[in-house]
Amino acid sequence: MKIENEDALDNFVICHKCFTLNEEIPIADGSKACCSKCGHILYRYDSKLIDHSLALSFTGLIFFILANLFPLLQIDILGTEQFITIPKTIVSLFDNGFYIVGFVCVFLIFIFPLMIFLINILLFTLLKMERGEKLTKELLILLSHITPWSMADIFFISLLVALVKLIAFGQIHIGISFWALMVFVMIDIYITKSIHLSEIWMLRKRILFNKDKN
Amino acid sequence: MIEIDEDKLIRCPVCDAVNIDKGKENTCRRCGSAIFHHRSFSTEKSWAFLITAIIAYIPANLYPMLLTSAFGIRDESTILGGVVLLWEHGSYPVAAIIFFASIIIPIMKFLILIYLLISVKYPLGKDKKVSKHKLYYITEVIGPWSMIDVFVVAILAALIHLSSVEILAGTAATAFAISVFFTLLAAHAFDETLIKENR
Ligand SMILES: [Zn+2]
Ligand SMILES: [Zn+2]
Repeated sequence: MKIENEDALDNFVICHKCFTLNEEIPIADGSKACCSKCGHILYRYDSKLIDHSLALSFTGLIFFILANLFPLLQIDILGTEQFITIPKTIVSLFDNGFYIVGFVCVFLIFIFPLMIFLINILLFTLLKMERGEKLTKELLILLSHITPWSMADIFFISLLVALVKLIAFGQIHIGISFWALMVFVMIDIYITKSIHLSEIWMLRKRILFNKDKN
Repeated sequence: MIEIDEDKLIRCPVCDAVNIDKGKENTCRRCGSAIFHHRSFSTEKSWAFLITAIIAYIPANLYPMLLTSAFGIRDESTILGGVVLLWEHGSYPVAAIIFFASIIIPIMKFLILIYLLISVKYPLGKDKKVSKHKLYYITEVIGPWSMIDVFVVAILAALIHLSSVEILAGTAATAFAISVFFTLLAAHAFDETLIKENR
C-alpha cells in the first residue's frame, strides 16, 4: 500500500468489530458507511451534525435534570408511602455503609452520563464557533474515556427488573422521573451509539484545519 | 510517497485514527494518546485486573446479595438463590435476565479474556473458526450489563426500609461491583493490536 504521507491515513478507517481496513469514501447526506467484511457501521454522514447534536444534548440535559428532581417509583406498603429519586437511591447506599457500591453508582449513573451531555454541548458549541483547537481535542479524548463507563441505560433496565420484584411488596406507582429517565436514556443511547467519535474528529478536522485554506 | 505494509496499521483505541505501528513507542498522530506503550509486558496489566475480578467474583456468589427482613423474619439470598426464587415465583423473564447478567456474562467475559490473553502469546486458535476481534467486541458490548443486579439491589434497598419490612444490600453487592469494575478495566487494558489474524 502506498500513501502520500501519514495524514493520508485519515482516509482510512479500521472496523471496530473485525479490524478490517476500509477506505473512507464520501457518502450521501444522512446515509451510513458499513464495513466491507462484516457490515458493521463505520461512520455516518450528517451535514447538520452540529445542530442535531446540540439540540439532542440540550434536550437530554433537560430530561436528565427532570429525572433527578422527581420520584422514580413510589410504593404503598402497610399504609405508608415510600418513594425514591435517583439521588436518594445513591445516598441510601452511603447511609447503609455501602461506600464502594455507592461510589460506583454515583459515577456510572450520575456523574458520567451528566458529563457526556455537558461535554457534548461544550464541544459542539466550540465547533459551531470554529474555535478551540486544543480544547476540542481534550474534550474528545475525555469523551472517549468516559463513554464506556456511562450506564444510564443499564440503570433503566434495572429499574424495570426492580419493578417486577416489587409487585410482591405492595402497590407501585410510576413517577414522573421514570418517564423523564426513559427519554433521557433513549437520547443517551442515540448520542453514544450512533454519533461515532471518529465522525466528530473528522468534523473537527474539516472545520478547524480547512478554514485557513479557503 | 511512503510505502507501508497494511499489517502495520493499527487503530488508536482513544480516537479511532489509523496509525502506523512503529514498534515500541506508539503515539497517536491525531490525539497524542499512547497506543499501548509497554510492549514488553503487553498482557500483564490486563491479567492483573482480570485475576482481581475473578477473585472478587467468588465472594460475590457466596455471600448474600439481598437481605430481606419482614416482621422479624430475616431472609438472605445469594445471586443464584435470588434467581431460583424468582424462577419459582414464576417471574421467568426477570429470572433469566438476572441469570444472564450476573452469571453468564461475567463467566463468559472471564473465559473470553483468558482465551484472548493466552492466544496472543501462544499459538492458539490459529484455525480462525471464531474471529478474536469479534470475541473482544462482544466482551466490550455485553460487559457493562452485568451491573444490572447491583443496580436492582440498590433500588430495592433505597425504596423499602420500614421498621417492619426492610431490604438491605448484602456483602455480595460490594464484591460484585468490584468484580465488574475490574473486568471492565481488564478488557480496556487488553491490547487489541496484539491479535494478528486476518492480516
Ligand atoms: Zn468489520
Ligand atoms: Zn488517537
